[in-house]
Amino acid sequence: MRKPAVIVLAAAVLAALAALPGALASSSARSSDPGITSTTILLGGTAPLTGPAAAYASVARGAKAYFDYVNSKGGVAHRKIQYKYLDDGYNPALTVQDVRQLVEQDKVFSIFNTLGTEVNLSVRDYLNANKVPQLFAASGATTFGRDTAQYPWTIGFQPSYQAEGFLLGQFLAKTKKKGKVAVLFQNDDYGKDLLGGLKRGLQRSKVKVVAAQPYDVTAADVSSQVAKLKASGANVFAIFATPKFAIQAYVFAGRLGWRPAVINNAVSAASNIMVLASEGGKNKTVNGTVALNFLKDPSDVRWKKDPGMKLYRSIMARFAKGANVADVYHVYGMAVAYETVSLFKRMGANPTRAGLIAKARSMNDPSNPFLLPGVAVKTGPGDGFPIQQGQLQRWTNGHWVPFGGIWTSKKL
Amino acid sequence: MAFAALAVFVAALPAFISDVKAQQFAYVGIYLIALLGLNILTGYTGQISLGHGAFMAIGGYTTVILMVGNEQFGGSITGGVRDVWTIPAAGLVAGLVGLAFGLPALRLSGLYLALATFAVAVAMPSAIKRFDSFTGGGTGVNLFGKPELTGGLTGVDLLGRHLSFNLWLYYLCWSIALVAFAVAWLVLRGRTGRAFRAVRDSETAAISSGISLARYKTLAFGISAAYAGVAGSLFAIANTYVNPDTFPVLLSIELLIGIVVGGLGRLSGLVFGAYVIAFFRLYWAQGEDLGSLLPHRVIEETHKPGGPAIVYGVFLILLMFVLPSGVAGLFRSIGAALTRRR
Repeated sequence: MRKPAVIVLAAAVLAALAALPGALASSSARSSDPGITSTTILLGGTAPLTGPAAAYASVARGAKAYFDYVNSKGGVAHRKIQYKYLDDGYNPALTVQDVRQLVEQDKVFSIFNTLGTEVNLSVRDYLNANKVPQLFAASGATTFGRDTAQYPWTIGFQPSYQAEGFLLGQFLAKTKKKGKVAVLFQNDDYGKDLLGGLKRGLQRSKVKVVAAQPYDVTAADVSSQVAKLKASGANVFAIFATPKFAIQAYVFAGRLGWRPAVINNAVSAASNIMVLASEGGKNKTVNGTVALNFLKDPSDVRWKKDPGMKLYRSIMARFAKGANVADVYHVYGMAVAYETVSLFKRMGANPTRAGLIAKARSMNDPSNPFLLPGVAVKTGPGDGFPIQQGQLQRWTNGHWVPFGGIWTSKKL
Repeated sequence: MAFAALAVFVAALPAFISDVKAQQFAYVGIYLIALLGLNILTGYTGQISLGHGAFMAIGGYTTVILMVGNEQFGGSITGGVRDVWTIPAAGLVAGLVGLAFGLPALRLSGLYLALATFAVAVAMPSAIKRFDSFTGGGTGVNLFGKPELTGGLTGVDLLGRHLSFNLWLYYLCWSIALVAFAVAWLVLRGRTGRAFRAVRDSETAAISSGISLARYKTLAFGISAAYAGVAGSLFAIANTYVNPDTFPVLLSIELLIGIVVGGLGRLSGLVFGAYVIAFFRLYWAQGEDLGSLLPHRVIEETHKPGGPAIVYGVFLILLMFVLPSGVAGLFRSIGAALTRRR
C-alpha cells in the first residue's frame, strides 16, 4: 500500500503548485475589447531576458520606463498603460506559450514590441486569427511590412533589413569601386534579408560579394566563419549579426590581423556594442566601420543638450534605476512606446483593437524625440513600414560620426 | 492502483484550472512522455543521452512535414495528413533513427556516449537549417489555421462535449502520456526491464547471464527515441509552430535535468520532473504571479536580463541538496517512514 499514498501525495503537491499562480491572477473588467478599462490599458509582449539575444532585453525595459513616465503624468485619457513582458529566451516555442497566456489569461489589449523575427513569425497567424493587434513587432524582416493584406493585424517598426542591406550596397557601390565583399550573416530570415538587400544594392556595380558565411543563432561563436571570410581575400567585411556575434566577429578579425573596411548592421551598431568590440581601443578593425542609424545615440555628444535625450536621461534615472543609460536599445524602446502613446492619444476616449491598428496604418509623425532629426514615422495605404529612413555613420575615434544626409528607402 | 490515481487526477484537473493553465499542463504531459523514454535509456539501462531534444525534433518535423508537406519550400512531399495520425508515424521515424543510432553507440559508453549524443543535439538545429528545402529552414513552419490541425480556432467536439483548443491539447497529450506511462511500466517490470537493469548495474555480469548487450542497448535506444519522437510530435501540434530553434540544445539538457529531478531509474517522480521543465521557466518569466510569495526585490532581479537563468540555477542546486535522489527518492523515504510507523 505504499505506492498509492505516494501518488496521492504527488497529486496534492501538483495541485497546490497549479493553483498558486492561478489564485493570484486577477481578471480585469469587461469592456468592448479585452485589456482596457476606464483606468488602464494592458499591453503584453515577450522579450529575450535570457538566451543568445539577451542584449535586446533593454528594448522592453526602455519602453516600460517610458510608459511609467507617461503614467506618472496621468496616463493617456486618464488611463494608465501597463506593459507586461515575459521572457522567451529568443525561443519561439516559449514565445507561443507566453503570448497565448497574455492573450487568453491576462487578456491584453494588444501584443506589443515583441522582439525577434522568428519569435514574431511564430505567433503571427495565431494573433491575426484572433484579431489581436501585433503592434510594432521588433524585427526588420520585410514580411512584416509587406504582407499587410494577409496579416492586417501585424505591423513592424524599424527599417526593413532588405532596405538597410540595399542602402549599404549602394554605399559600397559608390565608395569602394574595387570592393570584394565578405559577408557574415545569421542563418535566418533576418540575415538573409540583409544579404539579399546588399546584393541588390550592388547590382550594376563592379563590387562583388566574394564570400558569405552563415552562422546559427544557437552557435557558440563565429571564429571559423571569420577565418574563412578572411581567407577569401575580401577587402570589405559586412557583419550582419546580432550583438554577441558581431562583437565576436570584430574580435576574431582583429586577432587574425584582418583590416578590411567594415560595414555593420544597425541592430548591432549601438555605441556600447562598438566599444566592447574595440576592446578598449586595441582592436583597430573596428575603426572606420560604417552603419545605418535611425536612433539618437545616448553616448553621442551631439545630443547633450537635445530636449529628447534630456527627457530620455531623466526617464532612465527615475524609472529604470541601475540600467545602463548608454545602451541605445533603451532609446529604441522609448521611441516605440512614444509612438504607441500617440496612437492612444489619437484614438480618444474609446480605444478599440481595430482602431489601434487603423491608426497605426495611418501614422505621420515627423518628430519622434528619440529618433534622428529628419527621420519620420510614417505609414499609409500600401506602406506598411513605419520607419524607412536613416543616416549613415562612421565609427571614428571611439564614437559615431554621421555623414551624408538622411537616406530614404524607395519602394523595394 | 498508483496508475489509476494518476489517471483520476489527470481527468479531474481541468475542472480546477483555467483554460490557459490546461494548455500549459498539456506540455507537462508532453515532457512526461519524453522523460519516460529518456528514463528507460538513462535511468534503467545506464546509457546517458544528452541528445534527446534531437529525437524530439525528428518527431516534430515528421509531424509538420506530414501535415503541411514541403512543396512550398521546394520539397516533394504533399502533406495533408491530419495531425493525430502523424503521431504514431513520428514515433516510428524517431524510433528507427534511435535504433540506427544505438548501433554505433554500442561502442561508446559513459561520458563518451554522452558526448556523442550531445553532438547530435548540437548539430540538429543546423542540420534542419541546412536542408531547408526539406524542412523549411530557419523561418520555420506554422500550423495554426491549417486544416490538418485539429481544433485551432474552433475547438473540438469529442464524445458529445465541446472542448476548447487548449482543453483538447490537454486531453490529447495526457491520454497519450498515460498510455506511454503504462507501456513503460509493462516493459520495465518484465524480462526486458530486468535485462535493462542488469546492463546498467554491470555489463560483465549481464553478459555472463546470457543477456545480449547489443540487443538490449539498441532496443533501449529505439524505445526511448520513439518516446521522444511522440513527445516531439505533440510538441509541434501544441505549439502550432516549429523552427530549428524550438528544439535547442538546452531542451536536451532540460530533459536530463527532468529525469534527475524526478529520480533516475524510477517512474513515479517523473511527473514532477516534467512539471519542473514545463513550468519553471514560465513562472520565472512572469515573476509577478508569485509576487505575494516573494520579496519585491527578488522579483525585480528576476526581471533583469539573465535573471531567470540565475534563479533556475540556484533552484536546481538547492533541489539537488535537499533531494539528492530526486522526487521519487523523497516519495520512497516518506513511504518508508509511513510503513515503519504502522
